[in-house]
Amino acid sequence: MKKNILALLVAAAMLTGLISTAQAAFPEKPIKLIVYTKPGGAIDVFARKFTAVAAKHTDATFVVVNKSGAGGIVAIKYILNQKADGYKIAAVTRSNIGKIVSIGGKIDTNEINWMGLMVVDPEAVITNRKAKVNTWDQLVADAKAKKGKQIWVGPAAGGNDHIMAMKTWKAAGIEAKWIPYAGGGKSMAALMGGHGIAYVGNPQDVIGRPDLKVAAIASPKRLGGEFANVPTFEELGVKGLNNEIMWRGFMSKKGIPAEAEAFYLDLLNKVNNDPEWKAYIEKGGASPVMMGAEEFAAVVEKDKKEFTRALKSLGVLK
Amino acid sequence: MDFFESLTLGFSVLLGWKPILIIIIGVIVGILAGAMPGLSPSTAVALLVPFSYTMSPTLALILLTSIYIASNYGGSITAVLINTPGTPSAAVTALDGYPLTKKGQAGKGLGTALVASTVGGAIGVAILILFAVPLAKVALKFSPADYFALALFGLATVASMGRGNTLKALAAILFGLMIKNIGIDPISGVSRFTFGSDQLYDGFTLIPALIGLFAVSVVFVKMESWTGAPRVMEKVDNKLPSLAEFMKIKMTILRSSVIGTVIGIFPGAGATIAAFISYDMAKKASKTPEEFGKGSLEGVAAAEGANSSSVGGALVPLLALGIPGSATDAVLLGAFMLHDLVPGPLLFQDNPDIVYGIFCSLILANIIMLLIGLYGNRFFIKVVSVPEAIMYPLILAIAVIGSFAVSGSLFDVAACIGFGVIGWIFKRYGFPVAPIVLGIVLGKMVEENFRRAVMMDGFTIFFTDKLAFIVLLISFLSFVWPLYKSWKHHKAKQG
Repeated sequence: MKKNILALLVAAAMLTGLISTAQAAFPEKPIKLIVYTKPGGAIDVFARKFTAVAAKHTDATFVVVNKSGAGGIVAIKYILNQKADGYKIAAVTRSNIGKIVSIGGKIDTNEINWMGLMVVDPEAVITNRKAKVNTWDQLVADAKAKKGKQIWVGPAAGGNDHIMAMKTWKAAGIEAKWIPYAGGGKSMAALMGGHGIAYVGNPQDVIGRPDLKVAAIASPKRLGGEFANVPTFEELGVKGLNNEIMWRGFMSKKGIPAEAEAFYLDLLNKVNNDPEWKAYIEKGGASPVMMGAEEFAAVVEKDKKEFTRALKSLGVLK
Repeated sequence: MDFFESLTLGFSVLLGWKPILIIIIGVIVGILAGAMPGLSPSTAVALLVPFSYTMSPTLALILLTSIYIASNYGGSITAVLINTPGTPSAAVTALDGYPLTKKGQAGKGLGTALVASTVGGAIGVAILILFAVPLAKVALKFSPADYFALALFGLATVASMGRGNTLKALAAILFGLMIKNIGIDPISGVSRFTFGSDQLYDGFTLIPALIGLFAVSVVFVKMESWTGAPRVMEKVDNKLPSLAEFMKIKMTILRSSVIGTVIGIFPGAGATIAAFISYDMAKKASKTPEEFGKGSLEGVAAAEGANSSSVGGALVPLLALGIPGSATDAVLLGAFMLHDLVPGPLLFQDNPDIVYGIFCSLILANIIMLLIGLYGNRFFIKVVSVPEAIMYPLILAIAVIGSFAVSGSLFDVAACIGFGVIGWIFKRYGFPVAPIVLGIVLGKMVEENFRRAVMMDGFTIFFTDKLAFIVLLISFLSFVWPLYKSWKHHKAKQG
């Protein structure tokens, strides 16, 4: 009897030992979070905010490492060239998918573990509040009057925003010209200077810039807060644009250890439910979400198809 | 809130030892980073962004803007002493600063650079404080056609860099323009001349190219002419320029500061273009233009006054409209966002303490920079006395580290060495290398804005847009005139 109890105790001790080692197995060292822009870029701010919120829920240390170049290709290739040990993850956005498609199949998206899609940001058409043409209806009337000569400004052709613009023109039955600028900041400067009528971006772009306003938003229902007055495309009678999004999330190489996968799933869920995180994301008119690997991979596949189609029609891809 | 109240508020933010210490740290980090080839102002600020995360928003931004303003001066130190521009804009400073050092007058070069930077920085900040909002609105009104004309005007300044041989300078600028064509097409998004390599997707990075052309090339030139004999040590004079000499260049400093600020305001132009244009203007206005390129104090003052004042200018669109005007602005925008702030008109309303705290800290940073510079020059200058057998390997080592530091890629190091070979070949056959930098910096602005203008309004826009037309005419004349003069000179010699 005594022996049995002893054996039981030993077994119990071993079991708890096992469990605790299983829990402590990941992470044993700092995790590198790769960001594909230089410090100070929008995604860099996002990644650093994530590590600050994550610190409330885990003892793991995250080190943000900036590996900029080629619109994220450098960062993604870096991840894919490392061991799949779970200690290197990267912050990604929808525009990375556009870049992957535009360089023509050199990165296999099936090698990527799409860990979690955490933010969806509705696409929006932004206008200059001080211009004569600043509501959606005025924009449509102006475009029809100018017969294809209305000017929209935004980043390089074939990017996320340009493709959204082309979709919008098609859905609204108008024609316009896309004049590319070097990045969102310079495009918004051109819009403020009256060199274009519209810019495609996200609601957060107008925050702190009172000269700009959101004319229409591509979400199923109106946003809250300061965007409560912004009509959706559906309300404006434009069909097929009620769920156009820009997303942000995290990836790693495929084949990371199961305990690492469990760790991240748990952490991403906790951050997603954190009030500070929610407030940070919602302030910019975006929504916090948590899509796991399968759902995320499906989104990526859909985006890949859309970018491929659009880039072929533009002649960037053969 | 009235203006003086705002300034008082700004200075009250700086009371206490912490903000002052932060400014001093920022200025020292800025000078050192600026002097280090490879750490441009934007990289230096970016490296410190993570550290500023835990500070209060005001302190964080004071730290970062102090680095920004001081790094533009720091670049001149290595440019003057060892002909290795620490920042892209200091490439112009090296044109006259290094000849001064070769003449044994390094003290004069450093002193002029320091004073011009301080005055320039102060004028830029003063204009920023007084006129930020109206100036930013005017700059936005400039159309792509106007930008194209301005960029072309910048390219025309090449004529003042030929040192008598304008055609060789022209060849060098064309080479720079060709280099700029490598990488993704900024308008259509198609890859150009990348040969399928991801490394070339963004084209060659400016900084490794710059270090290669200026610093590594000198190492190769020395290797070729190496005799092993120890250099006869010329006496290095650390004497500052005299007051009379400063009085002579005061107009140059003032002019270059205004030019620098104005060019800084235009999104996408920046310190390097400002320095090139200001140098050209100074040469044209000078009573002794033949001194330029041989150690003219005016040349050093023109370059440094312009690049330091461009900081105040570049902060205009960022603070007044939330539009980043330079690469460093883009980093600062991120720093604001990290602290849940958005720069722009609302920031003046909601957080005047932060806006005016930054303004006042910039004034203070300029003064601290002057003091540190005056004290530090005595030590910096010792670099010149380092024996050549140690100096040149050291330059090569710094070049490798500096080009690696830009984005942590070995490709950049290889590119730096490659550009070193190109620079060596250029120098061997008497071609100037500075126009290559001008071509790389301005090529993008010329191309993008030309194509944008034509896409928007067709070719006629360059004749119907009054400003663009006038600027194009001036650039054409300022380009053709020196060519004509050198042709006449040549003919007279032959006949």
